[in-house]
Amino acid sequence: MPETAIRLKDAIFTYPQSGFKVICEDLSLNTDETALVTGKNGSGKTTLLKLCCGILRPESGTLFIFGEDANKQSLGKIGQNVGYLFQEPSRQLFAATVWDEMTFIGGILGEDPEAIKERAESLLRRFNMLDMRERSVYRLSRGEKQRLAIAAILMRKIRYLILDEPTTGLDGENKKALIEVIESLQNDGIGIAIISHDRGIINCCGQKRIHVEGGRVVQ
Amino acid sequence: MKTLDPRMKLFFVIVITTLALLFSHPLWMLCLSVTALLIGFFMGADFNVFFRKLIRFTKVLFIIAAVQIIFVRTGDALVVIDGFALVYYDGLMRGLNTAMRYFVILYSAAVMAGENSRRVIASLTQMKVPYMFAFMVMITLRFLPIYAESFSDAMTSIQLRGVELKKVRFGRKIRLYGHLLLPVVADSIAKSQDLSAAMEARGFGAKKTRTAYHVIEMRKSDFLFFVVFSLLSAGAIAGYYLLQ
Repeated sequence: MPETAIRLKDAIFTYPQSGFKVICEDLSLNTDETALVTGKNGSGKTTLLKLCCGILRPESGTLFIFGEDANKQSLGKIGQNVGYLFQEPSRQLFAATVWDEMTFIGGILGEDPEAIKERAESLLRRFNMLDMRERSVYRLSRGEKQRLAIAAILMRKIRYLILDEPTTGLDGENKKALIEVIESLQNDGIGIAIISHDRGIINCCGQKRIHVEGGRVVQ
Repeated sequence: MKTLDPRMKLFFVIVITTLALLFSHPLWMLCLSVTALLIGFFMGADFNVFFRKLIRFTKVLFIIAAVQIIFVRTGDALVVIDGFALVYYDGLMRGLNTAMRYFVILYSAAVMAGENSRRVIASLTQMKVPYMFAFMVMITLRFLPIYAESFSDAMTSIQLRGVELKKVRFGRKIRLYGHLLLPVVADSIAKSQDLSAAMEARGFGAKKTRTAYHVIEMRKSDFLFFVVFSLLSAGAIAGYYLLQ
């Protein structure tokens, strides 16, 4: 059943040092659609999506994530439903090997080791990375790091995923692999918001366009 | 005083921190803190940035002071509960002194942070400090906010992977923090490699000496500051030991 994953209303966020404001009057992101966020460099796209998942908290306005007020939820709680892929994947890879990366969060949360192993194997297989399980995370290419970061996010059964310029620095082959991943997530019913200017991404993910201009959201 | 030579600011920082380590009486430390605040203000220290950063250290300062207050058990008992002396005079004095000492050291760092990095490098090289060393110091300072951002991103992304930090048990939390260091260290190594390659590509380190486009010269006001501040500091040290 499609549902509203994120609803950001009358939100204002100001950067204290530059005074740059990002204003969003009303934005709804649903689980049955892929939203493409476009805009010039520095227009506020990343800020908008960081507001959408509670990384940044607006000075005013409301944010509802799956119907619950995000102000009353910790980032950890939000993360059980919403995933976020940073522009630089290295910043969100924490373990020495691919396998450790997939399994260590489950270990910290005290989950059943068999269930963790099963899910990690299935995700690595799906992302064509099972044969790399013993590889060092820092020996992976940028495209592989992107895929591993997404796979690691999916270790939680999230319902919405935000991707911040995932195609930056990827060659044609890696872009193709990433688009396949995005399409498979769409088929799983995971809603996606994606910042990108890449033609391949625009063609596959342009169901809903959100344009950001000078800090204002123009849908 | 805002346009004082960076060498004079460096001198100010060294003297103030030395005095902070030397003084062990809260009254003297209070006088030192107020003097440092005033001189630093005229030197152009950014109070907003400093106090914003100080808030982060408040807990640490409080803990340091509290440890001294609780564990130094000499002097008159000031707070007694059910016959048990909780706070002693010496403990309180030492606690206040230590908290102010850290305050002065943090503040003097803020004075240097407000200075233009190019001017600092120029002044250090004019003091015959090898320019490679001068650059290393400045780059380290420049990189600190980047490390902080990298750590904050790692913290955010680990939480967005469903980890509610408050609910994680202590032992597991320590393991988690260990994992957090990995992307920060890896990121900084990658950045430093890129930076050194970029600098070498632009001829950095090709010759032992280098010419300077901006030469900083000591002016009358710098010499005046040096003399007045040296006399004040010498007077403070003499007064401190004579009045003990």
